[in-house]
Amino acid sequence: MRTILSIAIDALAFGMVLFIICIGLSLTMGLMRVVNLAHGAFAMIAGYIASYAARDLGLGYAAAIFLAITGTIVISIPLERFLYRRIYGSSELTQVLMTIGLTFCVIGITNYFMGPTLKTIPLPQALSQPVDVGFRTIAAHRLFVIACGAAVAVGLWYLIERTSFGIKLRATVDNSAMSDALGVRTQVVYAISFAIAIGLAALGGVVGAEFLPIEPYYALRYMVTFLVVVSVGGAGSIPGALIACLVLGLVDTTGRYLMPDFGNFFFYAAVILIVCLFPRGFLGRAQ
Amino acid sequence: MHIMAQAGTVSAMSKAKSHHWWRDVAGIALIAAFGAAGYWLFPDNLALLTRIVAVALLVLSIDLVVGYCGVATLGQAALFGAGAYAAGIACVNGVTEPMTLIAIGAVAGAAAGLLMGGIMLRAHGLAQLVLSIAIVQLFHEAANKASAYTGGSDGLAGLMVSPLFGVFEFDLWGRTAYLMGLTLLLLVFIALKFVVASPFGMLCRGIKQDPVRIRAMGSFVFPVLLKMFVISGAVAGAGGALAAISTQVVGLDSVSFELSANALVMLVLGGLGTLYGALIGTVIFMGFEHMVSAINPFHWMTMVGALLIAVVLAAPGGLSSLVERISASRGGKS
Amino acid sequence: MTAGKKILGAAVGAVLMGSGSAYADTIKVGIIGPFSGPFALQGKNFQAGVEAYRALNGKSVKGHDVEIIYRDLPAANPAQSRALAQELVVKEKVQYLGGVYFTPDAMAITPLLSQANTPLVIFNAATSAIMNTSPLVVRTSFTTAQTTNPLGKIAFDEGVRKAITVVSDYGPGVDAENAFKKAFEAAGGEVVESVRMPMNTTDFSPIMQRVRDSGATGLFAFLPSGPPTLGFVKAFNETGLKRAGTKFYAPGDLTQESDLPALGEAAEGLKTSFHYSVAHDSPENKRFVEAAVKAIGSADQLSFPAVGAYDGMHVIYKMIEATDGKQDAQKAVDAVKGLSWTSPRGPVRIEPETRHITQNIYLREVAKNADGKYINKEIQTFPDQKDPGLATQ
Repeated sequence: MRTILSIAIDALAFGMVLFIICIGLSLTMGLMRVVNLAHGAFAMIAGYIASYAARDLGLGYAAAIFLAITGTIVISIPLERFLYRRIYGSSELTQVLMTIGLTFCVIGITNYFMGPTLKTIPLPQALSQPVDVGFRTIAAHRLFVIACGAAVAVGLWYLIERTSFGIKLRATVDNSAMSDALGVRTQVVYAISFAIAIGLAALGGVVGAEFLPIEPYYALRYMVTFLVVVSVGGAGSIPGALIACLVLGLVDTTGRYLMPDFGNFFFYAAVILIVCLFPRGFLGRAQ
Repeated sequence: MHIMAQAGTVSAMSKAKSHHWWRDVAGIALIAAFGAAGYWLFPDNLALLTRIVAVALLVLSIDLVVGYCGVATLGQAALFGAGAYAAGIACVNGVTEPMTLIAIGAVAGAAAGLLMGGIMLRAHGLAQLVLSIAIVQLFHEAANKASAYTGGSDGLAGLMVSPLFGVFEFDLWGRTAYLMGLTLLLLVFIALKFVVASPFGMLCRGIKQDPVRIRAMGSFVFPVLLKMFVISGAVAGAGGALAAISTQVVGLDSVSFELSANALVMLVLGGLGTLYGALIGTVIFMGFEHMVSAINPFHWMTMVGALLIAVVLAAPGGLSSLVERISASRGGKS
Repeated sequence: MTAGKKILGAAVGAVLMGSGSAYADTIKVGIIGPFSGPFALQGKNFQAGVEAYRALNGKSVKGHDVEIIYRDLPAANPAQSRALAQELVVKEKVQYLGGVYFTPDAMAITPLLSQANTPLVIFNAATSAIMNTSPLVVRTSFTTAQTTNPLGKIAFDEGVRKAITVVSDYGPGVDAENAFKKAFEAAGGEVVESVRMPMNTTDFSPIMQRVRDSGATGLFAFLPSGPPTLGFVKAFNETGLKRAGTKFYAPGDLTQESDLPALGEAAEGLKTSFHYSVAHDSPENKRFVEAAVKAIGSADQLSFPAVGAYDGMHVIYKMIEATDGKQDAQKAVDAVKGLSWTSPRGPVRIEPETRHITQNIYLREVAKNADGKYINKEIQTFPDQKDPGLATQ
């Protein structure tokens, strides 16, 4: 029982990290119909900013997170304006080409300026202690990540389902020309959603840095994982992405505990099974 | 999710078909000329050129499923790797005749294509893409686990290929490997031109554009696409076998997601659904990568990224569409 | 070319070279390494080692200028490796090949060597079997078995009777597992469980759970240097294994110096065995570190591949000296068989039979130095260690 609980809590933490990073990608892919393979690159940029702010400038963890999110969004604005706006509505493969190109550029530039070494984001005292949760000790940081994931899920759900911006966004997604005609400024809606997606990537990059360490190749290393998680969840669905992250996190963690030698087999076999059972992902939108 | 680009209308197709044959003859002659030019102009880089030829076969095979059938795949290296490992294992076990090895690679690739198509064609769009990723990762994992046969991460080394026709050795200069590869590429290309122009090829294009209508016409979609998958597997497998023969080592990279993704990038770079685009994309991408990485081995990635972005901005349909657009505008003027 | 043109060419050459010897020629050395991509750091260390050697020992040998040509091979890719080696030999006319980070890449180059009349000096690729594939290969790095071997006895001597091995599931990981098992069982201990984890594992807590459940008091781990080591060490601490007193042993790949600033406190006290520590206390090493840091740009990036490259260059320079600039691969390799010198890592020797390097292996502990920086502090020396993988063959 202790072991099961222990595995479950590890799986939850890992799943939540995936969720925070992937939900932004799920939004861009499902709602804006852009296959943004450079999503991980933005998470990485945020990690670098946070690391610089916390280690070199000596700012606190919260300030570092804030700076990382705003900094990454600021960097993404010209990219959205000059690059992404050209590929809205293009074929997916064209989008893949452009965003992979962008990823290569980011990796090359990061390697040039920041060097190839690992960068860490020092945690505050409160988060770096192991905490006793009764049946085992767990890093406080993991609990923090779980909380962050829950907050993101609730916040996004509220934003999309309960606010006027959410209504505009859904209208734009369903019929962009019609909402334009009805006075919704679709370009602005797209720009804002893009910024939100990037902001979430940034948050995930920073709080997930303990799991996925920050280094220049980050942008490509985890791209497959992100893409798989989003597709399994169903692009554009928040609960879908949440379920996918938790299920895949659980399969991954349990698989690695029970039969570590075949950890990858478990993961990808589960992916194949899920996709065959739910061809649109868990809660994908009908297209 | 429809992976298709803007497809030509039926009338444009039939119009094109009337002067198809001489264009294709000219095109194939041009490829042969380019291949021969490569041999004379870069006699010191034949190993690189052979590598390009092997990858070109992989990219062609992706074009068959992506460009002609509209099936998205990021896992084609599974078929390439199946061919490479089959040829490699056969070679280590005493089958050293190069033509036989290519055939073994093609058969293994076709078998893997049958398996992969059988799984992938159950899904559509994004789910299909993810299935392809999962399959190539499973192949990779299997190749790593079966290290007794594949050498695992250390690679399957010690392939002693006997000379081609008993005369031409696979040596340091790589002339035999290149000329054999080039001939293979030309033969495959010609065969594929026939395949895609055949009624079967047309049916595939039809399915890509509108599977519902094809079904309504009384055709079965699944077996048609599966057949194309098997053909594509044979092409990729032959490419893998060529890589194995010319390198004498088979590494895990030949069944990797990275290779699949790179090959797809090359295809999109060149342009989908023409077969020429596959060759153009491969040559440009790998040639450019080789050039910039020789100039600056440390920071060339930025340049490759910039090239991809530039191509999307300048020629969203791929480089071959650029060529067509230029020739079309010329034709319009005259 | 006519005689007249030749004389003209020589005259122009002499003028261009100014006061230098008119007979000076250029000997090219091709270095293949991962200079970009996920292993860019290791490639950068190759370059730092090479440049440090040239800065300290000059850019010419016996009047022959030595020119280095770098070629990038970002990840293990035998086909590309062969193409690069071929280009370097045939087109660039290099007389020596060096570098190579991954085993399959080396395997793709070795069949070319005798035809190319070119020796290959391996700066890293660490599988024993490479040495048997060509008589023209010399290696100045280490093998995983070589660096792991002493740990079995150390663990037993420190009171560990039951150990668990956890390694990355690929060639070197399996080598490390076998080497530790053999040494530990020879000392009298028992390996209760062997776990091989997939290369792309990022969350290690389930593995740690398994370690805890196994009842072992000692953990032997092998992971390639790079990002995952961070997660592994942190998981070891956070799951309470460290507090519970589980002893942790690993080859030094796990605590390479360039990862230490990131690992920081989490790694303090970790014991690893390796052939080189940047903190090795010797005048040779001081000189080396100073030059290499200058070449790489930052002290935080310097790590073990640099010393492999540095000694590799030493071997190549000795080869050039022995052949006096003429291309003769066999003579060059014969000249360095049995060569011994004092490397920054300590005394080393090229074993004449295996052409692999024999060296000290050190037991080190992660500790803070006087400046508050984390280092691998050497606490015990195992002199003259051969590669057990090759020795038994």
